[in-house]
Amino acid sequence: MSAGEPLHYRFPPASAYRLNRCLFALKSDDGFRARFLKDAGAAIREIGLAAADAAALVQGDRDTLLARGAHPYLVFMADLRLRMEREPVTFEYF
Amino acid sequence: MLVGAFACAHTPQLLARPGTEDRDLVLRVHAAFARVKRRLEALRADAIAIVAGDHVEAFFLDAVPALAVYVGAECAGTFGQYRYRFPIHEPLARSIVEQGVERGFDLCYTQSAPLDYAFYVPLYFTMPEPSLPIVPLHVNVYLPPQPTPRRCYEWGGALGAILQGRSERVVLMASGGMSHFPGTDRYASPEFEYDRRLLDTLRAGRGRELAAVTGEELDKMGNIELRTWAVVLGAVGDAKADVYCYEPSWHHGNAVVEWAL
Repeated sequence: MSAGEPLHYRFPPASAYRLNRCLFALKSDDGFRARFLKDAGAAIREIGLAAADAAALVQGDRDTLLARGAHPYLVFMADLRLRMEREPVTFEYF
Repeated sequence: MLVGAFACAHTPQLLARPGTEDRDLVLRVHAAFARVKRRLEALRADAIAIVAGDHVEAFFLDAVPALAVYVGAECAGTFGQYRYRFPIHEPLARSIVEQGVERGFDLCYTQSAPLDYAFYVPLYFTMPEPSLPIVPLHVNVYLPPQPTPRRCYEWGGALGAILQGRSERVVLMASGGMSHFPGTDRYASPEFEYDRRLLDTLRAGRGRELAAVTGEELDKMGNIELRTWAVVLGAVGDAKADVYCYEPSWHHGNAVVEWAL
């Protein structure tokens, strides 16, 4: 890795705590995810997200979320769980 | 005593396959898992100590343990439609945490944390019949700063010594790897050649070389989860790897490995 090249998985800055908390809830908390899908604004107010974080989250703007300190894995799985609810994917379950 | 050592991929697409995942590839990995299951039965194991990296499921930012041991009567978790629960080999788990601390590893322990799918996927496919109790051993791989590969290898060395001193027949299993980059721009371009070179190193019995790799290199190569392999390698020393399969999908290097003890 060349000098200065950032890690793929970086330390989650304290400034992004609420954002990461929200992504974690979207990934792992079925109730919160359901409330978000019903009324994203109200769900986001539960967490108390900054306006810029909320806008990036609602727009699904991954690059902005990462730039604001969101953890890439949380962004990935939160997005996947939301998409699975919106457009159910057909899986072969083993 | 330590009677067996394995590493298994835990790619969730092996459990719930979307249309984007090659079915034949998935079935080939399943066949390798079936070999592990037969080996576990032949080894007459009493317990499986499984080393995995939590995917920010059990441990969020409230507390981020570098190394943790599940100590309790049982553990449980969910993944999509799957609901799972495993008995923990409580005397073994307690011995690992107590002796680990005595040996200088400041381990976290939990009696309540949810069990991540990283533990579940290999167990789903390899659990012998009749089933065995487990001891889940967590290594932080996703939330920097993670433990160094050397520290993981050293923990594995202590863990191996602890297991050798026990009367139970214990199989040690690493869950994770190989190269993949979830949530990043590299998702569709893992470092398969790095994986293949590393597997050659492990086949030659030079697993200690993984202890010398930096955390930065693992991140660059999409292999942050190989910290779990480093733990197993610390326990098996210079044993040679038998690579059951290496199946690179469009996003993930899936490997299943046994170390001959």
